[in-house]
Amino acid sequence: MNEEIRREQYEKYLRTTHRLGRLAVVLTLAMLLGAPFVMGAYLGAMPDLAAFARGFMSIGVVYFVSCVAEYLIYVPMLGAGGTYLAFITGNLINMKIPCAVNARDMVGARSGTAENEIISTLSIATSSLVTIVVLALGVILLIPLQPLLQSPALQPAFDNVVPALFGAMACRYFRGNLRIAALPLLVMSLLFILVPSLTGSTSFMIIPSGAIAIGLAYLFYRRDRRTDGTEVSP
Amino acid sequence: MNILSRLNSPFIYLICAVIVVFVALLCVIFAVRAYRAGKAIGMDVTRMKRTIVASATFAVLPSVGILLGVIALSGSLGTPWPWLRLSVIGALHYETQVAEAAAEAVGVGGLSASQMTAEAFTTIALLMSVCIMWGMVFSLFTCRRYTDRLSRPAPKKKKDGKGLSLAGFGDRAMTAMFIGLVSAYLGSYVGTLVSGGGLFRFAGSFLPLAVALVGAAAMGLFIRLRERYDAAWIDSFSIAGSMLIAMTAAIFLGKLA
Repeated sequence: MNEEIRREQYEKYLRTTHRLGRLAVVLTLAMLLGAPFVMGAYLGAMPDLAAFARGFMSIGVVYFVSCVAEYLIYVPMLGAGGTYLAFITGNLINMKIPCAVNARDMVGARSGTAENEIISTLSIATSSLVTIVVLALGVILLIPLQPLLQSPALQPAFDNVVPALFGAMACRYFRGNLRIAALPLLVMSLLFILVPSLTGSTSFMIIPSGAIAIGLAYLFYRRDRRTDGTEVSP
Repeated sequence: MNILSRLNSPFIYLICAVIVVFVALLCVIFAVRAYRAGKAIGMDVTRMKRTIVASATFAVLPSVGILLGVIALSGSLGTPWPWLRLSVIGALHYETQVAEAAAEAVGVGGLSASQMTAEAFTTIALLMSVCIMWGMVFSLFTCRRYTDRLSRPAPKKKKDGKGLSLAGFGDRAMTAMFIGLVSAYLGSYVGTLVSGGGLFRFAGSFLPLAVALVGAAAMGLFIRLRERYDAAWIDSFSIAGSMLIAMTAAIFLGKLA
């Protein structure tokens, strides 16, 4: 197929993805913000807007800052379609981001390419559908499943889903990138040891940790290029 | 009728189910469009299928963890609302914190069915929606410009040799960002062990760090098997398999904690 036609098709796909994504976001926001009022009408008790404003001032600001950081960090990993879907479906750090990064690396897609855009969207859509199905089944089977899922014997397993995930991901990504991974891991370990209260703000600590890793990656990239005198494949 | 019975009524389920089904349809639409676009631009169908299989297997165990979040919140907010929140937009590690903080902010003193009222519930529900909606709001207004800028070719090296081209650095930057993300979480597990129970007292829980190490060892084994037998299909299941092994280890290690 002609390269020009392919590019046109991809650009058309991107344009409609943005249109569809924005429409999806508007509709989802309308439904999510409208739901408490519809439920309020049914329950005969509308949200207390004064209490809402007080609550938003005390906790909303924190989450606003967190959302800004997440948005800036994750969009480059997700691409356009992946971004709209991931922010609509949530659970980014504990599922969507590792899932998309894993899929991207598995098929060898390079960031900023059409392939990365497609793979990322497929990965996030699939993982979101799995979550929706698992939660729907879980809610339908809540009564019979509850004793099993909440049994004390299984609690350590379900309390450690994220460490299990990041341990596995660490092996895959640190391997071959030890010179980039060593310093952020050391700095983060020291910070969390010296200021234990930071464990409540781990998602914020991704920013300095990521900055150190990107800084080191850039230094090594520059050095490799100067040594080889050629473009270095990533 | 007590408050939990009202929060678990068929009408509340219906409202939440409509939104969940809408989002599920969105996922199907985005997936089908991406698959078709991939085929149209000549991508290898096998790789797209591998992505779907790997993402589906990857998502199962974290989804069960998220289901536990639904169960945890259902005791005070009923089942339908936490089900909706954790299916759409919500995040396992935020949702409980926001719900708890929102309950305190509206004056019910914490998440508890005994203190919950219909008005407190609707106010908490609105707060939970507004607090975590900003990613969606930003994507509405800036996603197009942001992604366009990211996919623009990097400026080339100047003729005098000064200024280094960033072409080719994008992938390394993404990998480095992810390494930074994983490092932050692993660092927090080290900090929990060493200072979680007091500065340098080694009295904190060793479990998250031990589970992460088992997960890493299991992944190392999968990588070895994949390389030794040249079996690319192992990649599709290696993360899910490593997590399963690490979570099983957590059950046994938990008895030592």
